[in-house]
Amino acid sequence: MDIFTIIFWVIAVVLFVVSLMKNRNKTLAAMKKSKSMMGGMVGEIIAIIFLIGLVLTFIPPESIKTVLGSSNTFLSTVISAAVGSVTLIPAFVAFPLVGSLVDAGASIVPAVAFLTTLTMVGVVTFPLEKKEFGTKFAVTRNLFSFGFAIVIALAMGVVV
Amino acid sequence: MKIMAIIKKNKLIVFVAAAYGILLLASPDQALQSWRNSIYYLIEMLQVLPVIFLLTVVIEVLVPKEMITQGFGEKSGLKGNLLSLLLGSISAGPVYAAFPISKILLNKGASITNIVIILSSWAVIKIPMLANEVKFLGVKFMGIRWIMTVISIFVMGYLMALFVKTKDLPKPEMGSRENVLEIKQEYCIGCGICAKLLPEYYEIRDKKAVVKKMPQGKLQEAAIVETADKCPTKAIVLSMDE
Repeated sequence: MDIFTIIFWVIAVVLFVVSLMKNRNKTLAAMKKSKSMMGGMVGEIIAIIFLIGLVLTFIPPESIKTVLGSSNTFLSTVISAAVGSVTLIPAFVAFPLVGSLVDAGASIVPAVAFLTTLTMVGVVTFPLEKKEFGTKFAVTRNLFSFGFAIVIALAMGVVV
Repeated sequence: MKIMAIIKKNKLIVFVAAAYGILLLASPDQALQSWRNSIYYLIEMLQVLPVIFLLTVVIEVLVPKEMITQGFGEKSGLKGNLLSLLLGSISAGPVYAAFPISKILLNKGASITNIVIILSSWAVIKIPMLANEVKFLGVKFMGIRWIMTVISIFVMGYLMALFVKTKDLPKPEMGSRENVLEIKQEYCIGCGICAKLLPEYYEIRDKKAVVKKMPQGKLQEAAIVETADKCPTKAIVLSMDE
């Protein structure tokens, strides 16, 4: 667990104890409520996690290197953004990967597009987002995120 | 019929299980590899979801609705946007962990713009991640990407609010449920505790408490349950349709 997760735990537990002391019955009622809300999500989340495992087997991080390093910048930017949308690579894998490419002289535009869609666009988590916030919200948010990832990437290419 | 209904309800789970089953037959090595890849995320989930659970409870109990509406609602303005950005940035865990929190904030009156800001910054801006980015790509790279991302997130929040309205969101399950609140007159001793706790819902008429209106939505449920518990003769009955 990194330090931030630990802090998160400490804050949550402390607040929870406060809420128990302040109003025991209301806390218990709220727990029942949260349980029913999150209970429905846990199965989906586990399914998503195993889906990520599958995706990583078929699109391993190393293969992303070839896409990011391709010479046609426009095409590789769009493909990188698409690959970033469907995969979910831990940050501690993604940054060294992209860092080594940029050091080797690859264009940063596809790299930025990839890094941004990696976290902001979630094709794998889409079913859950759709269930919780509705189709319109999920589709619009992911499309906008994809578009803005490309905009951020192009702007970075100009500025940096 | 029943099996079909279960499959339909758990489409994703069935789909992933089937994919693993097929892969296990076709290429056991890859199935094993996929399983191993998933373990990291499973651990991450186990570390984060209990915290999210506690936080949703805490928000429900300790944070009054007015505070959320003021802090994150339609009229919260730039201050609300910044607050949302801060909340998303200091959080821990993957984006799906943001869903329950966002949902509870939405139910308590947060605006769509601010929910989009929370979700996006929760996904993209993480302090440990920024540190990692500096390490491998440099301060300048990280800084410029951060600034552009924040601007994009804000613009996106406002654009989203133009396209997606509250009515497009699924109704909170809580509101769609039928709650029936009643007071058993034969038990009520007219002590007035319930009317004092929740004058909106109860009043004393002819020395007996009566229900003024039915609770709408789950938000009030906790408060109602509390009055039911406080009632000395247990005359208050709240029946919920699950």
